[in-house]
Amino acid sequence: MISPRTLRNLRKELRSSALAKIGIVLVLAMILIAAFAPFIALHNPTNQNLDENNLPPMGFSRTTEETTSEMVNGSLELTNETVYVNATASHPMGTNSLGQDVYSRAVYGARTSMMVGVLGTLLAAVLGVSVGLVAGFYRGRVDDALMRFADVSLAFPSLVLAIALIGLWGRAAVDVPDPFVVFGLVDPVRSALGLPTGMPDSFVLPGTVIVVVGLVNWVWFARIARGEALSIREEEYVKAARALGASDARIIGRHVLPNATTPILVLATIQVAAIILLESSLSFLGFSGTTLSWGFDISQGRAYLSTAWWIATVPGLAIVLAVIGVNLVGDWLRDALDPGIEGEGGV
Amino acid sequence: MSYGRFLLKRGLQGIVVVWGVVSIVFVLRFITPGNAVDAVAPLDASPELRERIAAELGLDQPLYVQYLDYLWELLQGDMGYSYISGIEASSMVFSKLPATIELAVASSIIAIGLSIPLGVISATRRHEPADYAATTFSLVGISTPNFWLGIMLILLLSVQFGIFPTSGRAFGFVEAFRIAANQGVGAGADAFYQWLRFITLPAVTLGTYFTALITRLTRSGMLEELGQSYVRATRAKGLPESLIRYKHALRNTLIPVITVLGLQLGTLIGGAVITESVFSWPGLGTTLINAINTRDWPILQATLVVIGTGFVIVNLVVDAVYAYLDPQVVAE
Repeated sequence: MISPRTLRNLRKELRSSALAKIGIVLVLAMILIAAFAPFIALHNPTNQNLDENNLPPMGFSRTTEETTSEMVNGSLELTNETVYVNATASHPMGTNSLGQDVYSRAVYGARTSMMVGVLGTLLAAVLGVSVGLVAGFYRGRVDDALMRFADVSLAFPSLVLAIALIGLWGRAAVDVPDPFVVFGLVDPVRSALGLPTGMPDSFVLPGTVIVVVGLVNWVWFARIARGEALSIREEEYVKAARALGASDARIIGRHVLPNATTPILVLATIQVAAIILLESSLSFLGFSGTTLSWGFDISQGRAYLSTAWWIATVPGLAIVLAVIGVNLVGDWLRDALDPGIEGEGGV
Repeated sequence: MSYGRFLLKRGLQGIVVVWGVVSIVFVLRFITPGNAVDAVAPLDASPELRERIAAELGLDQPLYVQYLDYLWELLQGDMGYSYISGIEASSMVFSKLPATIELAVASSIIAIGLSIPLGVISATRRHEPADYAATTFSLVGISTPNFWLGIMLILLLSVQFGIFPTSGRAFGFVEAFRIAANQGVGAGADAFYQWLRFITLPAVTLGTYFTALITRLTRSGMLEELGQSYVRATRAKGLPESLIRYKHALRNTLIPVITVLGLQLGTLIGGAVITESVFSWPGLGTTLINAINTRDWPILQATLVVIGTGFVIVNLVVDAVYAYLDPQVVAE
């Protein structure tokens, strides 16, 4: 699957490209933040504290008008006073309108994005690659039918189809226990570090969203896999395998698929980026099963643009950094492996 | 194959895809929990009333009859009536279409107008500051969710500096023309100014991803073409560098760029949906989201059919342009 030559190319490209290094660092950081969120977050991301809402991030302050009424000589007098709200060290990126910690929510949002990005891409890849390999290997009627179907599903933009499907099917979500919390590892570490304990013991996996983003993005994989199968089936080694009496399933599994992995891998990376963007769009529009998501937080912050700009700004920066990282890794793989993919799957 | 036959073949394929699109929309309704009667009938409706509603919507017919009815009505431009407002679905959707087309066209103009020069500059001044600026911009551009970009633009240019309105649309481009025709040049200029003020932020928001994407494609395409032997040959022949770049290299670069643009049309439409939602732009996207939230099936159906069909039509146009630029496509 991954030959020594491929590895050599990857290493050579990595050594010469600073951007590839930045990409790997960003992606690794994302993965670690998502995995170890209960240790990295400062607060429970869902804890509300209305006394400390809309706190500004460190280095900023916010003014608010406070009106006090007083009885002076039998008549009510109102006095307006400008009050400064200052940042506190325990909320370095401020709080949102419910007093939830913006930083901790961004940390937990990484989980949702990574899970949806990876699982959604996996589903799309399995579906698309199966369809594409079969279509390309058998050609003829099967190919025509499958590729027409692919054309039809391309006629619906991913986002439009995803909104329609989720809107109609509902927003089912699965509660996945957080292993670190369940095994009691979190509280001791957090209290040793002097951080508040009581992190969420499970996190919400937006099941419908994962299924839907997989369903709306399979076509890109089908097209690539089909193209590869079309050319690989004419190779000598496939003919040899057939002459030896290998079954079609064996030829596809043992010869066609392994030789088609490079472009599929590069496409998968690009798709993770596209699906992270798609997930954030869906949760921004309210079509997600979870409220711990960057897109959702941006939609919440929209109402407070004139008073608390950080609520929408911080999760947006998180998305940009994550997607830049994945895109840079994608560029690195593409340049090192040169699979000849044109274009990129978009939202 | 002649160019005419190529267009005919593509046209027929397009019709098949449109048929697939409308069929999928039909199927969507039956893989959806909850039925239409629930959406229309009052909560305390008697079974008789529910039956009457089902009969009126044609739901008591066998499935294939419903399907054929649906196709037949679509052919006549009849897409039913909104469950919520009772307005004809087709007239509602077509009244929203111009706003979306305006937005898509405006952002495409921004994208194409900026990205191709940017890509060319980036490729011809490789490893110079201009190149780094352009590549950084395009990397950030393809990695930024457009709804967030829109919100940041509102935050900066509307809330902080008050240059642009935060949302909405005063009137359409066509209405602005009408005002110019009826009320004279002064009123017309003012109308266009208002139109421009409202469309700028949504168009920039929607256009940024494409500007970034095409810049990237143009840059890598140009770099590849400039390394080809025909470029060296034209240089050796003594042709001026500008002629080599723009007449030869750029032209060959544009062909794959157009292919990718065709593939990315769906992204443009999807992006329009969310951009409309950020800026309360009264187009198809807003209509689609409202229809889903209120479970207004006829409107949803009409929106999906129009979006899918529009996509197929624009793709046909892209194919036609593509084949015109690159005759090899027709030959295949």
